[in-house]
Amino acid sequence: MSRRPVPWVLVLFLVLLCIPWLGSRLYTFIATDIAILALFALSLNLLLGYTGLVSFGHAAYFGIGAYTTAILMKTYGVPFVVAFPAAGIVAAGFALVFGFFCVRLTKIYFAMLTLAFAQIVWAICFKWNDVTGGEQGMPNVPYPDLGWMSAIPGLGSLRSGDHFYLLVLALVAVAIAALRRIVASPYGRMLSVIRENPERAEFIGINVRLYQLSAFVVAGFFAGLAGGLFGIFNRGVFPDFAYWTKSAEVLIMTILGGMGHFWGPAVGAMVLTLLNQQITSYTEYWPLILGIILIVLLFGFRGGIVGAVVALNRRLRGR
Amino acid sequence: MYRRSLLVGASSLALAGSRAAQAQGVIKVGFPMILSGPGALFGEPAMKGAQMFVEEINAKGGVLGRKIELIPRDTKGNADEAVRQARDLILRDEVQFIVGTLTSAEGPAVSTIAKENKIVFIAPIPKTDQLTAPANLHPYVFRSSSNTTIEGRTAAEIVAKWPVTKIGTIAPDYAYGQDVTKAFVEHLKKIKSSVEIVDQQWPKLGEADYTPFINAQLGKKPEAVFSALWGGHFVTFAKQAKPLGYFKALNNNLIGVGEAGSIESTKSMGADYPVGIWGNTYDVFNWPDAPPAHKDYITRLKKYTNQEHPSSWPITGYIGMQFLTDAIAKAKSLDSDKVSAALKGLTIDCPLGSMTMRAKDQQANHGQFWGRTKMDPKYPFAILENVTRIDPEPFMG
Repeated sequence: MSRRPVPWVLVLFLVLLCIPWLGSRLYTFIATDIAILALFALSLNLLLGYTGLVSFGHAAYFGIGAYTTAILMKTYGVPFVVAFPAAGIVAAGFALVFGFFCVRLTKIYFAMLTLAFAQIVWAICFKWNDVTGGEQGMPNVPYPDLGWMSAIPGLGSLRSGDHFYLLVLALVAVAIAALRRIVASPYGRMLSVIRENPERAEFIGINVRLYQLSAFVVAGFFAGLAGGLFGIFNRGVFPDFAYWTKSAEVLIMTILGGMGHFWGPAVGAMVLTLLNQQITSYTEYWPLILGIILIVLLFGFRGGIVGAVVALNRRLRGR
Repeated sequence: MYRRSLLVGASSLALAGSRAAQAQGVIKVGFPMILSGPGALFGEPAMKGAQMFVEEINAKGGVLGRKIELIPRDTKGNADEAVRQARDLILRDEVQFIVGTLTSAEGPAVSTIAKENKIVFIAPIPKTDQLTAPANLHPYVFRSSSNTTIEGRTAAEIVAKWPVTKIGTIAPDYAYGQDVTKAFVEHLKKIKSSVEIVDQQWPKLGEADYTPFINAQLGKKPEAVFSALWGGHFVTFAKQAKPLGYFKALNNNLIGVGEAGSIESTKSMGADYPVGIWGNTYDVFNWPDAPPAHKDYITRLKKYTNQEHPSSWPITGYIGMQFLTDAIAKAKSLDSDKVSAALKGLTIDCPLGSMTMRAKDQQANHGQFWGRTKMDPKYPFAILENVTRIDPEPFMG
């Protein structure tokens, strides 16, 4: 008996689409935050979960994307339609240059070099006063012109924050669909082969470095797109976007959600963001809580939240 | 899996909503401030000042018959976090006003959020002129602290009276250092045409080794130096400069802005402080010409903070809050536009005397205390001699 599977992803998308109609600015705000960070975490997982490359400097491409969009839109008045893809392209360009050196190294050396490049990006953002605004960053990044959305029936009554959310949701959905397509393609399979056994992959004639570099560039591209959106959402870009703590944060999201599953990092982004929002209003000791969560996770649920849920599901079905 | 994650999301959102709905009737004021890390040395006491003010005003029945609830949040010293906290305060805690931020990066970043949400925002500490520059000014941003123009020009007024003409400057190479040095140099040249700027040193912010800058400056033989190294940076600098004979060569003709004369700076250096130089501070606990209101304030502050020699920073949070509550009382409303209108040109009677929020640039005429440092056997740290509070009105522009 064959039953058509429920298209859960589509259902989720439609549910998320309804959030602005709940009427709370807070919900829309949190949903926008999570959507953008989910894309960021998913882009990292292309390296971490699929290619087996641990990057400690993924925030560099997020930061580059954010600054690209912000500088184009604020300083040069370039419309969003151009400034947004530019974020991905510029970030991918930098990922190509940095990645060229990084993939020459393996394991911890690779990780350290990604960190080194990220710190360079941060230092440039921090020091180049004329272009990046230096340590003060660039406040007041303009919103894209979303007046056209009001003309669409049913959307006229929404606030500009809601319009932006819908835009973010649509763009993130397209980006995630593209990522999903990539990992499911023969190319994506090849990345998994490299993750499992790089020596063997080399033996059967795969150019491992080239594949790793291409994955690095693609991951950088999507991180850049996430950064571009985040700069606008945050109403300003700051050097800390490229700082190592941001890289650590996205790494934690990915591991928390589960890097063995495509949707793991997105769930991680959601859980971490919600926890952070909740906990910081009660205590200043967020890092302590985060540390405890990580310890529990690393000892109890290696596969992250999604890994644990999948395992539980399997066990229940087995009975 | 999706259902599960949605449930988690929905339940935490619901929790947030119910909490925000509580506590009707109080006036909620968000207070984003550096409460951890090195900046907390200033942020923490600033918050204490605001808290003391709130407790006192609540004890008297609050404003418009409503109590004030102060909600402090840690910005961790970075603008990104300050923005996040400010938005969270507005959306989740539903604060009606924001008083806070410390650095010159945090202030303008939060100003954007205030403008967008139409929430009156009073910055009690950030000094960058950018915050209230015409291009960035909007009806909801106000500054109760001093700014780089006031600080630089006041220093110039003081140095102009010294019998020196060859001037050097040393300042951290970023917005605050550049802005305040520019204000000093331009004003000094204007009021005393005989001066000559013989040297300008720009170490990076957070420089660990000032020796090359000190030696280079000594080589140009300035007769007096303007320093904009603030807080811990000044401490590091002075400790390295003293053994090199820097202060002696200058005959102590150094004026340190960025609160080099504050009790925090003098206390942290103790006997190592280059006694004899000039410095500024937001407050002095032993102000000889103190009006009764200030004496009373210091007594209350000592009790509130349990400090024998109270910090100079609580006054910043205190004055920021006073501007807000006085404006609410004057507006007889919590409406952002009405409070904003009331703040423009509002004069408050604060512990330092009367202070006015100028209508034209929404900047308070907040002059700081200036004086020459000296050792006093009564204290284990240097204090300011002949300390004066300089009214910046004549040269604020």
